[in-house]
Amino acid sequence: MKPVLKLEHIQKYYGNEGNLTQAIQDISFCVEKGEFLAIMGASGSGKTTLLNCISTIDTVSAGRIYLEQTDVTDLKPKQLARFRRENLGFIFQDFNLLDTLTLEENISLALTINQTPLHEIGPRVQEMAVRLNIAEFLHKYPYQVSGGQKQRCACARALIGNPKLLLADEPTGALDSHAAQMLLSTLLGINETLNATILLVTHDAFSASYASRILFLKDGRVLTELNKGCDSRKVFYEKILSVLTMSGGGQTNVC
Amino acid sequence: MYAKLILRNMKRSAKDYLIYIVTLTICSMLFYAFLSITSRYYRPEVGAEYDFTILGSNIKLAVVCITLLLLFLIRYVNNYMLRRRQKEFAIQSVLGMEQRTIAWLFFAETFILGAVCVLAGIVLGMLCSQLITAMLLSQYGLTFRLSFMLFPDTVFFTVCFFALSLLAVGLFNVRTLRRIKVIDMLYADRQNDPQLADSRYMPAATVLHGIVLLTMTLSGISKLHLYYDPRFPLPARVMFWGNLLSPLLAFTWHFIWLAAKAVRKNTWNFRRLLVPELILTILNICFSASVPPVCARYHISFGTSALGFDTGANTYLMFLLSDLIYLICGIFYLAGEVICLWKEKRPAHTYSGQNLFFFGQIISRLTTTAKTMTLICLTLVLSLFLFLVAPALTEWASGYLEIRALYDVQISTAYNNVYDEKDLPTKGYEPVSDFLEEHGIEPDMDCTFHLYLPRREEFRNRVKLDFPVAAIALSDYNTLRTMLGYAPVTLGEKEFATQWHPIATADYREKFLAEHGTVKTDAGVLTGSPVYYTEVLGETLYNRYTDVIYIFPDAVCKQLLPVMQNRYLQTKEPIAYQDALQLQETFMERYPEEPAGHEGVNYYLRTRTMQVNSSKAAIFTTHAMMAYSGVILMVICLTILSLQQLSDASQYRCRFGVLRKLGVEERDIEKLIVKQLRIWFGLPVTAAVLTAAVLAAYFFTTIRDQITAYIGFRTLAAQIAVTALILSILLVCYFLSTWILFKRAVGE
Repeated sequence: MKPVLKLEHIQKYYGNEGNLTQAIQDISFCVEKGEFLAIMGASGSGKTTLLNCISTIDTVSAGRIYLEQTDVTDLKPKQLARFRRENLGFIFQDFNLLDTLTLEENISLALTINQTPLHEIGPRVQEMAVRLNIAEFLHKYPYQVSGGQKQRCACARALIGNPKLLLADEPTGALDSHAAQMLLSTLLGINETLNATILLVTHDAFSASYASRILFLKDGRVLTELNKGCDSRKVFYEKILSVLTMSGGGQTNVC
Repeated sequence: MYAKLILRNMKRSAKDYLIYIVTLTICSMLFYAFLSITSRYYRPEVGAEYDFTILGSNIKLAVVCITLLLLFLIRYVNNYMLRRRQKEFAIQSVLGMEQRTIAWLFFAETFILGAVCVLAGIVLGMLCSQLITAMLLSQYGLTFRLSFMLFPDTVFFTVCFFALSLLAVGLFNVRTLRRIKVIDMLYADRQNDPQLADSRYMPAATVLHGIVLLTMTLSGISKLHLYYDPRFPLPARVMFWGNLLSPLLAFTWHFIWLAAKAVRKNTWNFRRLLVPELILTILNICFSASVPPVCARYHISFGTSALGFDTGANTYLMFLLSDLIYLICGIFYLAGEVICLWKEKRPAHTYSGQNLFFFGQIISRLTTTAKTMTLICLTLVLSLFLFLVAPALTEWASGYLEIRALYDVQISTAYNNVYDEKDLPTKGYEPVSDFLEEHGIEPDMDCTFHLYLPRREEFRNRVKLDFPVAAIALSDYNTLRTMLGYAPVTLGEKEFATQWHPIATADYREKFLAEHGTVKTDAGVLTGSPVYYTEVLGETLYNRYTDVIYIFPDAVCKQLLPVMQNRYLQTKEPIAYQDALQLQETFMERYPEEPAGHEGVNYYLRTRTMQVNSSKAAIFTTHAMMAYSGVILMVICLTILSLQQLSDASQYRCRFGVLRKLGVEERDIEKLIVKQLRIWFGLPVTAAVLTAAVLAAYFFTTIRDQITAYIGFRTLAAQIAVTALILSILLVCYFLSTWILFKRAVGE
């Protein structure tokens, strides 16, 4: 299968000559079409920097990122906005919904920015809302609904444009366990039914266990990789925990 | 540590509230500059005929009163800062800092920030006071020379005034801060702005408007006798009936709504009262505004006040003003809903490009700040009206001065309180000649003359509306003309001519001349000459309540009753201020203005020096204060408009950040920002400009005679154009600085 996303020797430095921080040392990997990839790592391991580089919000210091045939690192600043709206979908930890718009309008906004014809907007928003189980809250404002509903709305907004890659940065970070579980099931469902390619960044083993493959980052490098294969989620979760234990994080010290 | 905290906070606040700081600096600069001319140490180089001390107390009081408005701005900005920083205060409190300490830290921060602004303002004020001096000297027709000076008394006064203002607002903040609970501060940012539906200001405004409507209706009913007058043409009748029926309809609508609401509570909400009432208000505005042009066209008068204003026009101006205020309140109250409606009805427009985001931005702000926007708009109207009217009023006063102060010494009389012919004035005012000789003031030209009544029996006529027109002998008239540099005129033996006051309208003049083809006098009937004279010869030449004087041949005048004796004098050198003052006092001792027992001749002595001094001082004070209040009000409004946008920048940064992540291009984001700011500044400014234009047009129509006589419409238009240009520059400056700061705030 053809890779949707391909990273080649990515490096990222911050700071100046005297005080240089290497956030990403040398990372290379591919994401296949329809894959659900999770990136795990402790705080400061470079996972959010990596996501920012892929999402073109940040630039790399060295290396190349390809989304299908496009070299993202080669895009001019003027082309970036167009690239983002046509190819990527985002889900953030803090939802990032616009508080001045209703949930429906928040979702529609992604389509209007892409200049989708008017007659298509309504039915598509409705369909996505039904799929994500937020149809009954569509007319409400973000401050009138729960965190889980907000995040599902953000998810709908990210998916409505049929992006080639869905980027999720700690999407369950601000949710309770039940809402988190619902969201992850939704993401998994979308991955399976719509064949959406998802890249999930998390430090939570439970969230990561929904993915089909996990990359473990440490100090800006890929420490190891874990494939779900035919394992059940429970077994996969155990495996993740053991990797985390080995890598010096996780729950070794918890009795 | 606390000092460090205060300094850091100040630094950050300085960036956030740059515009507020600039405004406070500008205001203290203007305050210092205007007050500096009242300083004891202020001594511009002017001749002995001028005295600036008469300016002092008036300006000081006016400046202080106007600047007190600034307290609102300081309070507003402080409130904003307080709200925005509540979370920070809460964290300090949770960390163990006493709430009292937090409050005092905040106080110190705002106070020092304000103090820095005021000090900077004083320094800039030194420069600005030069401008004011130049303006003042040009008013007196003198040349200006640059001289920098710091006036200690003005500095002291400015510092004290602003220190007290800052202290008052600061202490209020301390009290507020000490009373808020920590938990409320901690979650302050989670609360939404108060919803408009809870606001009671619009129902209150509607009740007040109802009272005005009732007054309008009653005022219309009181003039009912005019409505059936068949002499009035159709437009005048439409105006009369419109001004009665339209407010009556609007007033009745209140009760219809109340009745309907009692029956069906749910469907008849406040909006259903408001929308038709606003439509009727627009109708009302049209009818009220039609009063001056229709009255002017068909010579309708509702009566005249003591100052010469049309009282009817003044009443309708008040009605117009209250209607306009109500309309503005209504527009801003409903603006959010109108945009919502537009959004719903026009999906093609709503769902095109970033319009959805744009509407969200505007609606969320409009619904929560309608009251502030209304206030800003009304204040802007006041500011613009002051700017528009100030040149007209000052030019009017200057023009009037030119007509009045024609002679260095002007002695005039009135016989209103003389009931016996033998008490009429016959003296030659010798004490004046003596005084001038004593003080070495050489007369250049001198003319003592009588004014006569055509018929002796008219002496008894004291009816104000039918006061007799006086007459002057041809030789005296020609002497006066020579004194003012006009060519002498001639008359036939049994002929008379007329001399007109410039305020008399052409219509009135034509009517008068048509009716007075001949004049009966005690010396026989005189025939009117076809020529009339409109040269400016001074307003004391005419009899009371009249704008015209007959010019009779000398032989005729000899047989008439002289009722007034005037003396006009030109000196070789201008009379010094102190001399003029003394001359007036000496004259008044011998010839009182008010005769003892209110019976006898009223004598008046006016010197050019005194007239010029008092008028120019008054003109300058009026112009300066109107301009000052206009600038202060405008600056306050623009600052609040701009701060409203900038203070929410953090919220906007997040929103625009989402747009960026969604793939909206930078160029589109910039367009969105400009569009948003355009609406934000454009809506209140456009509403205010339109309202002020309506008011000013109304005002100018009511004083059109004075404009024609003293100013000229072209000069007025030029003055207004210059004012408009200055105001546009001010607006553009604020708009651009807000735009730049806003862009920086929402930038990546």
